[in-house]
Amino acid sequence: MADTSLIDGASASISAAPAAKPMPTPGQIALRRMARHPGFWFGGIVLGVFVLAAIAAPLLTPYDPGTQDLARRLAAPVWNSAGSWQHPLGTDHLGRDYLALLLYGARISLFVGFATVLISGLIGTVLGVAAGYWGGRVDLFVNFLLTVRLTLPVVLVALVAVAVLGQSLPLLVLVIGGLLWDRLVIVTRTATQQLVGREFVTAARAIGSSTPRILMREILPNITSALIVVGTLELARAILMEATLTFLGLGIQPPLTSWGLMISEAKSQFLFRPWLIAIPGTALILLILAINILGDALRDVLSPEGRA
Amino acid sequence: MSLLEITGATRHYQVSAGLRRGRVLQAVRGIDLAVEEGEILAIVGESGCGKSTLARLLLGIEEPSSGSITVGGRPIGAYGRVERARLIQPIFQDPYSSLNPRMTVAGAIAAPLEVRGVGNGRSRLAAVHEIMDAVGLARYLAGAYPSQLSGGQRQRVAIARALIGEPKILICDEPTSALDVSVQSQILNLLARLHRSFRLTIVLISHNLAVVGHLADRVAVMYLGKVVEAGPTEAVFAEPRHPYTRELMQAILPPELGRGLPELRLKGEFPSPLAPPTGCAFHPRCIRAGDACREAVPELAGSERLVACHYPLREPVHA
Amino acid sequence: MTPLLEIRSLSLEIPVNDGLLRPIRSVDLTVERGETVAIVGESGCGKSLTSLAVMGLQPQNARLSAERLAFQGESLLGLDRRRWQAIRGKRIAMIFQDPMTAFDPCYRMGDQMAEILRQHRPVSRAEARERIVALLRRVGVPAPEDRLDQFPHQLSGGLRQRMMIATALLCEPELIIADEPTTALDVTIQAQILRLLADVQQETGVGLILVTHDIGVVAGLADRVVVMYGGEVVESGTTDEVLGSPRHPYTAGLMRSIPVPGRTRRGQPLGHIPGLVPRPIAPLTACGFLDRCEFRHEACAAAPVPLRSGAGERQLRCLLPIETPRQPAEPLVAATAIA
Ligand SMILES: Nc1ncnc2c1ncn2[C@@H]1O[C@H](COP(=O)(O)OP(=O)(O)OP(=O)(O)O)[C@@H](O)[C@H]1O
Ligand SMILES: Nc1ncnc2c1ncn2[C@@H]1O[C@H](COP(=O)(O)OP(=O)(O)O)[C@@H](O)[C@H]1O
Ligand code: SF4
Ligand code: SF4
Ligand SMILES: [Mg+2]
Ligand SMILES: [Mg+2]
Repeated sequence: MADTSLIDGASASISAAPAAKPMPTPGQIALRRMARHPGFWFGGIVLGVFVLAAIAAPLLTPYDPGTQDLARRLAAPVWNSAGSWQHPLGTDHLGRDYLALLLYGARISLFVGFATVLISGLIGTVLGVAAGYWGGRVDLFVNFLLTVRLTLPVVLVALVAVAVLGQSLPLLVLVIGGLLWDRLVIVTRTATQQLVGREFVTAARAIGSSTPRILMREILPNITSALIVVGTLELARAILMEATLTFLGLGIQPPLTSWGLMISEAKSQFLFRPWLIAIPGTALILLILAINILGDALRDVLSPEGRA
Repeated sequence: MSLLEITGATRHYQVSAGLRRGRVLQAVRGIDLAVEEGEILAIVGESGCGKSTLARLLLGIEEPSSGSITVGGRPIGAYGRVERARLIQPIFQDPYSSLNPRMTVAGAIAAPLEVRGVGNGRSRLAAVHEIMDAVGLARYLAGAYPSQLSGGQRQRVAIARALIGEPKILICDEPTSALDVSVQSQILNLLARLHRSFRLTIVLISHNLAVVGHLADRVAVMYLGKVVEAGPTEAVFAEPRHPYTRELMQAILPPELGRGLPELRLKGEFPSPLAPPTGCAFHPRCIRAGDACREAVPELAGSERLVACHYPLREPVHA
Repeated sequence: MTPLLEIRSLSLEIPVNDGLLRPIRSVDLTVERGETVAIVGESGCGKSLTSLAVMGLQPQNARLSAERLAFQGESLLGLDRRRWQAIRGKRIAMIFQDPMTAFDPCYRMGDQMAEILRQHRPVSRAEARERIVALLRRVGVPAPEDRLDQFPHQLSGGLRQRMMIATALLCEPELIIADEPTTALDVTIQAQILRLLADVQQETGVGLILVTHDIGVVAGLADRVVVMYGGEVVESGTTDEVLGSPRHPYTAGLMRSIPVPGRTRRGQPLGHIPGLVPRPIAPLTACGFLDRCEFRHEACAAAPVPLRSGAGERQLRCLLPIETPRQPAEPLVAATAIA
């Protein structure tokens, strides 16, 4: 069409200037904004350090967390006048190295956290998107599930599950993952509802897109940032939940170890050797705080759509 | 036979108002219209009169509650998803909402071909470039995201996406209402040019009569879910027969000096589609209303010029 | 006599990530009592920010400077919060494009309006209600008593806009600033609302600043026009002068873009302004309209263009001769290209 440039001079004249500089994608813009966000750095670095330490546990301590040394039980950490560098964080009532327990415990805590978020993320997204997209009866059904879920106390469900099926790590993951999808459903449902009302979804229908294509190409990409933000916050919730259940004797059991278990086993030493609780407690608080700050930072960076 | 035929189409919605459930909202209350191949038919009317609902019916996104809509003699619901998309494509009002913020310009424009499984990635990109040239989008924008485009550019992307599959019919719902006049004129020029070069049939929905007058061959005026007047653009503009059409024409503010503000003789407000007035729906606002208007629904009558009024402004000249 | 509102060399700077935004650059504007001044231009040209600045409502982080910004001869520069509150809503009132955002969705209309009135006037609840009902009747709200108990979302767009106008009139302001008051409305309601504004002005002699991008609205209502582009006033004068014979290529381009039933031929290409409104980020080193101007020449790129006065009240920020009308070159070009 020869007359294009004459009639539609708009595009012709602006094409000259910015052509040289390729435009940043929304992802690049988000990355740039992240780089400037202190919360992202703090949360990311602390979480990263914990994950790395958990992975590299054998390199960081010569001890095995299962090895008991009753001769050296309840050794004090280095900062205590009675402590020594042999066991930097001391030992527990069975003489196990506390640093080793902490590092290997981090593996379990983080594994439970990530695994449960994977499960609850899947459940939450499927339910939320279905409710938001189809509405009507599907929505009513999901709402019913949500109401039922919200009336179930996690501890009670865990108690029943343990009583019936016996205590195990997979069961713990399934129980927490099967319960912590409530917020994810609420968030994805609202986000999907808003998207369905937008004209680009109608346009996708009008070009003949199938429903799976609409869900995968139009809906999902637009709710991922919300999912990441909520998922991050749910990660913190899941880790805390693991610690709670374990503390109550419903979660992790020896020979495995986790921070919740360390706190639980140190209960009786609370008055005389407070560090036995303070060490895993501080690690837990730091990790939860870091993940929450990271989640907030992601929200700042990701949610206001495309604001460069 | 016309390309697009609307016969007695209605569309009702169930709305719940608090505890009272099951009230019926009549968005489209019986429309008969025919659109000929290659023409531009405009549909005008006030906000809430059912223009967008009609557009959704024409696109086959919603089914009429009663009546029928046929394309090429076949009910629109009888076409398959993809088949229908090849015939009819939409362009929407809000270019900020009609593009997926996570999809690049090229991705959005190529989507109809992908859905249909036409060609491979390479041939699709070539087609995208070609259509981008046709709608006046610089090719370097292919990788851009909607947030990086101006309103006019977005509307061009939407037009390119609609045209890449070479549909026969384009349904434009307020294609320029969200744009500045300087950009609106470019989009109008583009639509006029594409209409000629692609031999498109266009249904142009707008509340801006100046836009309608500039593009359309024929105009249909809607009021509360019904067509109250239809006819060739020039004739309807020069000599409106329905009292409502005349008020609409009166209300236009042309950028011309010395005309002052229009004097409208329109009483009251646009009625609620939950409780349409009896008889002629326009009667509570009409200065010509008589007893007949309150009781009997006026039929849309005439041949070339159709008007639904008991006391039209001038008797139709019968040919 | 001092004008109602006098603005000389108003500028606004907003620090942003990638520099300093200059959305208003040395704007002059005068409004007399009983006069309607329209500010026109594409979106993003600084119309809304100019009107907000008059109300002292510019963004928190914006830096405002002006040679003079005076209302009834009294400077508005550097007023503290208390003194602003005595002016805002009472002596200068504002009407927004979207009345939905201007009213609080959680309160009944009557309570919101009474609250505003009682903030500025020592009246009893009953008196306030009486006054509001009278005003609503005056602006053509049917069954005004019932409306007072309704919430904003229960009203149609046209009714909400009428009630916003009534709210603006509550305290008998001396100046009303209307930012796109009819852009969201149907043509029929637009005509009624504009008529209402004109009547109110006739009766009360209030000054009116009308921000719009609709030249038809300007032609119908305004006494004077200020055309803004890129944060600058590029042309101003009486409505007859500016619309009758636009001299700035931007004004001329806007006028040519509009289809006019009966004047533009059907299907004939409309004029347009190529390009986009630039982001007002850098200081100007040339004519701000340079990139989009079909008349540009070397001199235009050399330095920023000053505002000049011509015959009558016309002012123009363009190097082209001020007294010769702009010949539209463009539609001819486009027409030949089509043929
Ligand atoms: N899905 C729906 N459910 C209930 N009511 C609806 C629905 N869609 C539209 N309506 C109602 O139908 C009527 C017509 O709506 P429609 O959107 O077709 O109007 P319109 O003429 O396009 O108006 P506008 O000019 O504002 O776009 C309105 O009263 C609207 O509230
Ligand atoms: N609060 C703000 N912060 C930063 N930039 C702003 C703000 N408000 C407006 N702007 C910018 O200032 C310019 C003029 O805006 P505005 O006065 O709203 O334009 P108009 O009313 O003419 O459409 C635009 O480039 C706009 O993006
Ligand atoms: S039928 Fe009666 S009320 Fe309706 S438009 Fe005609 S004259 Fe008016
Ligand atoms: S000064 Fe030059 S570039 Fe600027 S508007 Fe006038 S002719 Fe165009
Ligand atoms: Mg609509
Ligand atoms: Mg504005």
